[in-house]
Amino acid sequence: MNRNAFDLRGYSAIIYKELRHLARDRVTLGLAVVLPVVQILIFGYAINTKVEHIASAVLNEDRGIVSRQFLDALRGSQMFDITETVATRGQLLNSIVSGRVRAAFDIPPNLSANVRAGHAADVQALIDGSDSTFAQPAYAASTAIADSLSPPAKAAIVVIPRVLFNPGLRSANFLVPGLIGVIMQLITMFLTSLSIVGERERGTLDQVMVTPIGALGLMLGKITPYAAIGFVDMLLVLAAMRYIFAVPIAGNLVLLIALSIGFLMGALGLGLLVSSIARTQVQAMLGVFALTLPSILLSGFFFERSLMPPLLQWLGYAIPLTYFFEILRGIILRGAGFADLWVPITAMLALGFAVLIGASIRFTRRDDA
Amino acid sequence: MSASVAIETRGLTKRYAQKTVVDNLSISVAPGEIYGFLGPNGSGKSTTIKMLCGLVAPSAGAAAICDLDIRTRGDAVRRSIGYMSQSFSLYGDLTVEENLEFYGRAYELEPHKRKERIAVLSRFSQLEPYRKQRADTLSGGWKQRLALAAALLHEPRVVFLDEPTAGIDPVARRDLWDLLFQLSEQGVALFVTTHYMDEAERCTRVGYIYDGELIANGSREELKALPGVTPPGTIRYSVRTDDPVHTLAQTRDKPYVRDATIFGDMLHLLVTDDVRATQLSDDFGVAPGWVERIDPSLEDVFVALTRAKRHPA
Repeated sequence: MNRNAFDLRGYSAIIYKELRHLARDRVTLGLAVVLPVVQILIFGYAINTKVEHIASAVLNEDRGIVSRQFLDALRGSQMFDITETVATRGQLLNSIVSGRVRAAFDIPPNLSANVRAGHAADVQALIDGSDSTFAQPAYAASTAIADSLSPPAKAAIVVIPRVLFNPGLRSANFLVPGLIGVIMQLITMFLTSLSIVGERERGTLDQVMVTPIGALGLMLGKITPYAAIGFVDMLLVLAAMRYIFAVPIAGNLVLLIALSIGFLMGALGLGLLVSSIARTQVQAMLGVFALTLPSILLSGFFFERSLMPPLLQWLGYAIPLTYFFEILRGIILRGAGFADLWVPITAMLALGFAVLIGASIRFTRRDDA
Repeated sequence: MSASVAIETRGLTKRYAQKTVVDNLSISVAPGEIYGFLGPNGSGKSTTIKMLCGLVAPSAGAAAICDLDIRTRGDAVRRSIGYMSQSFSLYGDLTVEENLEFYGRAYELEPHKRKERIAVLSRFSQLEPYRKQRADTLSGGWKQRLALAAALLHEPRVVFLDEPTAGIDPVARRDLWDLLFQLSEQGVALFVTTHYMDEAERCTRVGYIYDGELIANGSREELKALPGVTPPGTIRYSVRTDDPVHTLAQTRDKPYVRDATIFGDMLHLLVTDDVRATQLSDDFGVAPGWVERIDPSLEDVFVALTRAKRHPA
């Protein structure tokens, strides 16, 4: 029987029904709102553990009064614990390579003399960059040590940090903004696909398809409430990031929210795509995982994309989350604007739109068969 | 809107890959008729209904509902039909009233009209006391009433009911049929599938589909008079007996018995027409008054037709 794919009728009827389902199913609604916050708290704290007492090695070739002051300041900082004192530069490097310490300080022989003479004096700090959890705070704390010295050492000594193994140091803030994308994609995909497949499984969809409800009305009616939940989730997660993890939003909040809505559309499209293929709710759940896990792994959430083999990098370009991460990190961390991000913005919106259109076509065709 | 024909199909066919599920089906149902659509499980009953309701696209053939072609006038067809599926397919987590409200909106009834229809159908189906109750807390019979009420909100001229009484108790079945008769009186055409022969007997006309093929179609009387049902040279008797199972065993060595089936404390026999009632009462040791000439029941009709299909002579 012919049914126009762009027929919007029945939209409000479906919305009416979906809101009733949601109001009745408090557990799902509660989980949909609480889970994202719990997730960001778990993930966030897991990667944002307060860093203190970093095991550190010291090579002191000066042994003068200034170097003792410097070491006292180091101990007093709470951030560094001197666990090794070594005699050579080779030992110093080895203490880091072996993983025994995560920071090492190299005090040159003429430190006290230089300070006394009123010259500038450098102390080199070596920081293990292989673990960004430690590297970022260690980097920041090392440069501040000289501040706690008393004059004239305070003015003369400059700590020069050098990050080893990971020169493009990732901040701990790196993961939290990315989580927004992951959580939004998971929640919206789960809710839409399970809701639609659930109706198919129970046979209630056939009863709806017998009415004059339009294909578009049905589809949008099914996804609008979940888009709204996804939007609320996004605001909650953003607030958690800002106020619980104190990650400041450097860029334009309105642009960030607008683009998040754009990303939501693509995620809903993926949910629809899953629901047009899956016949049972179990299949739908597996489908969501099948799409989300590679998204997370290939989009640069955990692993730096530039270090991936070319094929995997290319696959990453087909994933909306890849672009959303760039947008999230760009706006939140670097304060980037539309002009800086137009490439990922265009790519993400185009990809999301394509997924949504493709899923809609599949969705309407499948049920018309 | 009053069409002369409520449902009309011509050569309606559904093929899935290799299998033909519905084969060249041609039927016609008039307004106010209750058309019983019977056949074994998997014979194509539900597929036929799904094609007529626009849920499954036909592979070949044509069909019209109230003179509206189902291929081209999908929208008008949907407004003319009600559908009650095999399993309960309303929303269990919604109340009775919310389910009706949703379907009223789905059929685009104006708010005042919606209210009026929900009130009318709540009375009709006697669901009023349950209006605020969640649908999944209703018993089977009440669920079916709700499903029927939802299917009737938009005043369809044709209603499809796919095994509406499967799994509900006899009282609820009787009540549901009372509702169906009321609809029929209002000129609504009803297309009902069922496995219950007593329900088939209540239909105005009956079609019997076997393996996708319509092998009988007509009124009860027409079907019972089909030559294959009571073959030439045979007649039917019922024999009342104290031990039907034992009597059935006795029929095995009687060469004149063509077919024997137990009905309660009776045995229905198909015998060669030279057999007299007195011979039967003698042979089976029952009182002469316990043997009677009978007409075939619809069950006899379908058993005969199915056997003829399975084991062609």
